[in-house]
Amino acid sequence: MMEKMIFGRYLPLESPIHQLDPRAKLLFTFGFVVVVFLANNVVTYATLAAFTLMLVYLSKINLRFLLSGLRPVIWLIAFTFLLHIFLTREGDVLVKVGFLEIYEGGLRQGVFISLRFLLLILVTSLLTLTTSPISITDGLETLLQPFKKLKLPVHELALMMSISLRFIPTLMDETDKIIKAQAARGADFSSGPIKERVKAVVPLLIPLFVSAFKRAEELAIAMEARGYRGGEGRTKYRLLHWRWKDTVAVCLLLLLAVVLWRLRS
Amino acid sequence: MQKTNIRRLTSLGLLSALAYLLMLLNFPVPPFPSFLMIDFSDIPALIAAIVFGPLAGVTVEFFKVGLDFLITGSDTGIPIGHIANFAAGVTFILPVYYIYKKFESKKGLTAGLVTGTVLMAVLMSVLNYYVILPAYTLFLNMPAMSAPETRQMVVLSILPFNLLKGILMAAVFLFIYSRMHVWLRRQAAAHRS
Repeated sequence: MMEKMIFGRYLPLESPIHQLDPRAKLLFTFGFVVVVFLANNVVTYATLAAFTLMLVYLSKINLRFLLSGLRPVIWLIAFTFLLHIFLTREGDVLVKVGFLEIYEGGLRQGVFISLRFLLLILVTSLLTLTTSPISITDGLETLLQPFKKLKLPVHELALMMSISLRFIPTLMDETDKIIKAQAARGADFSSGPIKERVKAVVPLLIPLFVSAFKRAEELAIAMEARGYRGGEGRTKYRLLHWRWKDTVAVCLLLLLAVVLWRLRS
Repeated sequence: MQKTNIRRLTSLGLLSALAYLLMLLNFPVPPFPSFLMIDFSDIPALIAAIVFGPLAGVTVEFFKVGLDFLITGSDTGIPIGHIANFAAGVTFILPVYYIYKKFESKKGLTAGLVTGTVLMAVLMSVLNYYVILPAYTLFLNMPAMSAPETRQMVVLSILPFNLLKGILMAAVFLFIYSRMHVWLRRQAAAHRS
């Protein structure tokens, strides 16, 4: 269970999508969320679905694996689908079973809305599946540069984010160790009434806080010793390269938007 | 933030990581629907606020949901749940911080925690009623819940859930505070100097 959490959902594969610049992928995903809402008829939804499937194919991520990650939302999608089927009353009646009537408009709405939902989730999951959290942070740091003018400490925020990401596995090991140590003394974290569980959390949290503060102090001293003076003029270990492929990706999204705009009714 | 305080920076990074981890260790409480889960992830944010000031607490809350969004992604594509979690966290820690600052004692903290719990529960109910539940229905394009339905949902599950969550967090934090207050005050003093 712990391993699964450490790596999150990032799947390190070699694919054209993995190799894209995180900035391009972020722009693409934000753009896609807007573009999805352009679709409003069969042709446009088919185009969108084909486009998304092409992305999934390019990412070399198993579609079945991707869909299995959607299991928690599937019922939500199914629920919206059923609601539309039974409650939207537009167009001709298609099927009539007893008092249940299914209208053409209801079926169309149900399929469209569920599809839109599914595509949105697929594309946002592709972002987190093909980009490691640390490169997303790097990408965000560069994309948010303009906000520095508004006194937003972009560099500091990105650095804090990187520190958190770096120390999640470490703190997780520590949590594991403390849980085991307390369990060896007879603590029980996983059962019992709520009151007992709440009490059991305290001896877990205190050592965690103390160790987090200790690590923070050590890290601060180490950074000071190496002459950290804030973001001004600081060079980077992980450099981002914007290649022609990234331009192509962004252009592809613009193309999709134009095509949908043309085809929508 | 021209002159960056490195210790504040690293501490907030680590506290955010801790908040994220505590968020993963969440558990549902039987009578409530499964999307209402209790976790103790607001406690690191509260400690950040007490040691480094209110903005630090908000930052930790922000990173907690940000990390979860980056690592786990969102069930709905657009992070409505994350925004709701952030709002709940901030409305809980800010009142606690301001009241605690006035008294700097266990009594002040208790008063703060009670106020924080009530404020969080009430504000989250209002927010759920006007923004969050409509956002879910809008985004899923479901036929909107009628006003009495929404009200019933808010009064029967969201309000008592947030009250319970606040009470549990307050209890845990009081336990922690009674053992760590000397140390916490030293941390805060070291930061101010």
